[in-house]
Amino acid sequence: MALRANSTDVYRGGVLVEAPALPKGPKASLTLRREARLAYTILTPTLLVILFVVAYPFCTAIYMSMQDKMVGAPGRFVGLSNYAELFRDEVFLRTAWNSVVYTVVAVALKFLIGLTMALILDQERRFNNFFRTLLFLPWAVPVVIVSLNWRWIYDDLSGFLNNFLITFHITHDIISWLSDPRLAMGCVIAVVVWAGTPFYAMSFLAGLQSIAKELYEAAEIDGASILQQFAYITVPRLKTIFITTVMLSTIWTATNLQFVLILTKGGPASRTEIFPHLAYQTALGARRLGMGAAVTLVFFPVLVVFIIFLTRRMLRERED
Amino acid sequence: MGSVKQTRRLLKWVGNSLLVVMLVWTLTPFYWMVATSLKKDKEIYGFEATLIPRQPNLDAYRKLFAQTPFVLYLRNSTVIAVSTTVASLVFGCLGAYALARLRFRGRALIARGLIFTYLVPQSLLFIPLFAVMATLALTDTLKGLTLAYLGFTLPFCTWLLLGYFRSVPLELEEAALVDGCSRLGALVRIILPMSLPALAVVAFFSFTQAWNEFLYANVFVNSVDARTITTGLTLFVVEDVFFWGPMMAAACLATVPPVAVYLVFQRWVVKGLTLGAVKG
Repeated sequence: MALRANSTDVYRGGVLVEAPALPKGPKASLTLRREARLAYTILTPTLLVILFVVAYPFCTAIYMSMQDKMVGAPGRFVGLSNYAELFRDEVFLRTAWNSVVYTVVAVALKFLIGLTMALILDQERRFNNFFRTLLFLPWAVPVVIVSLNWRWIYDDLSGFLNNFLITFHITHDIISWLSDPRLAMGCVIAVVVWAGTPFYAMSFLAGLQSIAKELYEAAEIDGASILQQFAYITVPRLKTIFITTVMLSTIWTATNLQFVLILTKGGPASRTEIFPHLAYQTALGARRLGMGAAVTLVFFPVLVVFIIFLTRRMLRERED
Repeated sequence: MGSVKQTRRLLKWVGNSLLVVMLVWTLTPFYWMVATSLKKDKEIYGFEATLIPRQPNLDAYRKLFAQTPFVLYLRNSTVIAVSTTVASLVFGCLGAYALARLRFRGRALIARGLIFTYLVPQSLLFIPLFAVMATLALTDTLKGLTLAYLGFTLPFCTWLLLGYFRSVPLELEEAALVDGCSRLGALVRIILPMSLPALAVVAFFSFTQAWNEFLYANVFVNSVDARTITTGLTLFVVEDVFFWGPMMAAACLATVPPVAVYLVFQRWVVKGLTLGAVKG
């Protein structure tokens, strides 16, 4: 963004604003006041929505988590006893561990497969645009439909997977993909990866295509191997995209309960129970709104670190 | 040099093979969805289940339209997605203009608040928001859901447009203002025509997010009258155990709008990517 010489640009609090030159003298303050009034007026709808749908609910969540509120009934203030109960609960502790495994494994796999996909699509090939469109398709499908479809693929008797394995004599027995405690988590993660990889591939491919080809040509003349080119040209240039993508995706992966809700409902025996789904079950299954709010607030501090980091990053990127 | 060329040829071969593997992995679920929707019941279930539809037919689709409120769900989803998109565009443009061009107290704070708001996940807000909606009698209504969706589309749209508006040269606008154009007139005549790619991303984002949303729709709506397609679909499992045919038919049809929008807007979407326009 070009800065003008006689600019009245204001740089304050990390947000740069360009504005038409101010008239001099007593008229200036009048113009400014009129400008501010217009600004507040046209920002009102946005501010109201944020206040009503995000800020206020967020604040009430804290208060609610200290009540024994049930659906449709007023609550009593119970202090921190909801939290105390949670930390004694075995299901809760298992959920904490599951959430970490689920998020870390899913994000790592999406990253690796996404990067591979982007590198492949960056190679020269005929019909590459067509292949790209096909590979990115899962991302456009609503997550509910993805989950329902995979539940049907995993179906014991009639699903695609068992059907396929038995038809081609790879196994003879039916495998209970989603109800076997050893397989369930892996199966859920596979679906998360299937749906989420295109997002990574898209971001990485955009990054790869912005790297000047001359860099690689120069490195090649200097005798750099393909691996060296990847390590010293590609990776450093994609680093920013890597970090932003992983952080955004970590927040979305950790807080999405649709996959678990539709595929396993947290079962078998809480093997696939994760925080957002536990909160959902507590608040709406068991109708304990106060306790449900407490569950969401327990996992929020971890997310808030990511959110603050990302907020700063996105503001900084904008100013460069 | 020679070895680099050799490696490159090898990588090309590896790349082509991996491409095939990835295409199979990506497309098989789509195949299964479409194939199921075209089968007869006896080809769908049990030991006689087949991998390919032997007698492809549209029975499942007929059943879907005749025996389920699918059309109503579709209508509700369309109304909500379109109104969310329109509201996000209008309010987003106004808000972004104020933040990009006008001087007032609290501007930096609001800009910061937008991203923060956008990043707060729905699974954290649905419980207290449910209580708020119930108090205001907004549960089971389309306008309630639209309002809830604006909570995540509007902050992001405003943020994205803010960045774009700032890249529009100031001189053009100054000229218009000198010629007696009002502030909002300048927004409509000068800035908007130059921001079409950003408007495309915003429209795309709002539409797909509203169409695909599930959690709020599931929690805030109980009656059939206001149910959207994503939540309606999941009910097919409960209503009838042997309902996978029509359900996959519904899934195919409900996937069409977001995929169509994706195919049309593909070009612009990639640009909005790194800003978080796409969830994954």
